[in-house]
Amino acid sequence: MKLSWWKLLCIALLFYTVIMGFLGPVPRLAILNESIRNLYFHVPMWFGMVLILGSSVFHSIGYLRTPLMSNDDKAVTAAHTGILFGGLGLVTGMAWARVTWGDWWVNDPKLNGAAIGMLIYCAYLVLRNSLEDEGQRARISAIYNIFAFATLVPLLFILPRLTDSLHPGNGGNPGFNQYDLDSDLRLVFYPAVIGWALLGLWLTQLNARLRRLERIAEEKNEVVASR
Amino acid sequence: MHLLQEIAVLIRKEIVLEWRQRYALNGMLLYIVSTVLICYFGFGQNSAALNSPTWNTLFWIILLFTAVNAVAKSFGQERAARLLYYYTLASPQGIILSKIVYNSLLLLLLAVVGYGFYSVILGNPVEDNLLFLVNVGLGAVGFSSTLTMVSGIATKAGNNSVLMAVLSFPVIIPMLILLIRISKNAMDGLDRSISYDEMITLLAINAIVLAVSYILFPYLWKS
Amino acid sequence: MKYIFSLLMVLAVSANSFAQGIEMADALRSDGKIYVVVAVLSLVLAGILFYVIRTDRRISRLEKEMGDK
Repeated sequence: MKLSWWKLLCIALLFYTVIMGFLGPVPRLAILNESIRNLYFHVPMWFGMVLILGSSVFHSIGYLRTPLMSNDDKAVTAAHTGILFGGLGLVTGMAWARVTWGDWWVNDPKLNGAAIGMLIYCAYLVLRNSLEDEGQRARISAIYNIFAFATLVPLLFILPRLTDSLHPGNGGNPGFNQYDLDSDLRLVFYPAVIGWALLGLWLTQLNARLRRLERIAEEKNEVVASR
Repeated sequence: MHLLQEIAVLIRKEIVLEWRQRYALNGMLLYIVSTVLICYFGFGQNSAALNSPTWNTLFWIILLFTAVNAVAKSFGQERAARLLYYYTLASPQGIILSKIVYNSLLLLLLAVVGYGFYSVILGNPVEDNLLFLVNVGLGAVGFSSTLTMVSGIATKAGNNSVLMAVLSFPVIIPMLILLIRISKNAMDGLDRSISYDEMITLLAINAIVLAVSYILFPYLWKS
Repeated sequence: MKYIFSLLMVLAVSANSFAQGIEMADALRSDGKIYVVVAVLSLVLAGILFYVIRTDRRISRLEKEMGDK
C-alpha cells in the first residue's frame, strides 16, 4: 500500500519543522530569546484546531444536506481531534506564557477564545452522549455544531481586534510585533502550520475510518443475531 | 408578508398562553427578586462597598441565569401531540422567529424589573442610565435569540436543565463579554462614541445568531 | 547532511551577529549539542509517525476484508 501524497507531505513537513525549527536562524528578541522557536510548535496547534473544527462544521453541514452516517463520523472525529489540538495549544501556551509573561493564565482574548472553543466542543460531546437514537444524535449534534461555531467565529477573529492582547498583531507588546515580518521565521512557520494541520487531518481520517468499520461490524453482528 | 402575519399570530398565542398560566411569569419574577435578595444578604452590611466591576458582573450573572431558566421552558410547554399539530399548521421559520421575539419581550420585562430591583437593593452606581438601558435591551434580545435555539436543541435531547446550561454558556460568553464591557462604559459615564464599536459587534453577533437559527431550525423541527 | 546544517548555522550566527546583546543559546549551538536535541526529537517524531502509518495500514487491511465479504 502506498501512502497518499498528502500524508507523505505531512511527514516531510514535520521532519523539516523539527530539524529547521531548532537549527534554523531566528531573530534575536528580548524576553523571548530562544523560546521564539515555540512559534513552530505552539501556534500550529492553534491553526490546526481552527482548521479541523472548521472541517467538523463542514461535515456537519454535509450531514444536514445528505444524512449519511459517514458525514457524522467525520464531524465527530474532527471534533475530537480539534479538542486534542486545542488542548495541546492551551497547555503549551500556558507553559510559554508562564516564562515570558510571568503567569500561567493571562487575560488574553486569544487564550480565552481557545478556552471557550474547548468548552463548546466538550458541550458538543456531552450533547451527543445524551442522545440515544443514532440518526437524531447525528442531526441534533450537527445543528449544535454549526450554531456554536457560528458564535465562535466572532469570538476568535473579531473580539481580539477590539482589545489589547499580548499576542502578536494586537498591539501592546512591541517585542512581539517585529517577528511577523521576519522571513527566517516564515520559512519554517508556514510549513510547520501545514505539516501539523495535515497530521491532524490524518488522525481524523484514521478515526473516522475506524468508526465506519465499527459500525459495519455492528450491523453484521445484528444481521447474524437476527438469523 | 405571509410569514409576518404568521409570526404575529404565533406571538399572540404565546402571550395568551403565558397569561393564562401566570405562575410561570410570576415564578420568573420571584426568581430574580430572590436572587437579588440572596446577593444582598451575602454581601450583608458591606453592600455599599460593592465596587463597580463586581456590581456589574453580578448583575449580568443574575440576568444570565434568569434568562437561561426563563427560556429553557420555551419548548417544553407544549405536549408532543400539540407539537405535531403546530407542525402541520405553522412553518418552522415562523415558529422560531415568533419564539425569539416573544422571549425577547419576556426577557426585556424581566431585565428591566431586575435592574430596578437590583439598583434599589444594592445601589446604583450607573452614570449613563440611557446607555445602560439600551445595553440591557440589546442583552435581552441577544440572550433570547441564542437561548431559544439552544433550548430547542436541549428539548430534543430530553430537556434537562444541566444540558441547557452546558450548551448555552459557552455560546453566550462572547455576547456576555461585550455586554459587560459596554455596561462598564455606561457605569463610568464614558462618552458614548467609545461604546459604538462594541455595540456594532454585538449587533453583528446578534444578526449572525438570528440568521443561523433561521437556517438551522427547520432541520431541528423536522426530527 | 551535517555539513549543510553547520553551514546554515554559520550563516545564521553571522546574520544575527549584529544583535549579540540579547542572550541566546549560542553555546549550545557552538558545542554542536543542538544536534543531539534535533536527533532525539526526530527519532521521537519518527516513532510516532511510524505508529500512525502502521495504524493506517491496519485500517486499510480491515477495510479490504470488510469490503470483500
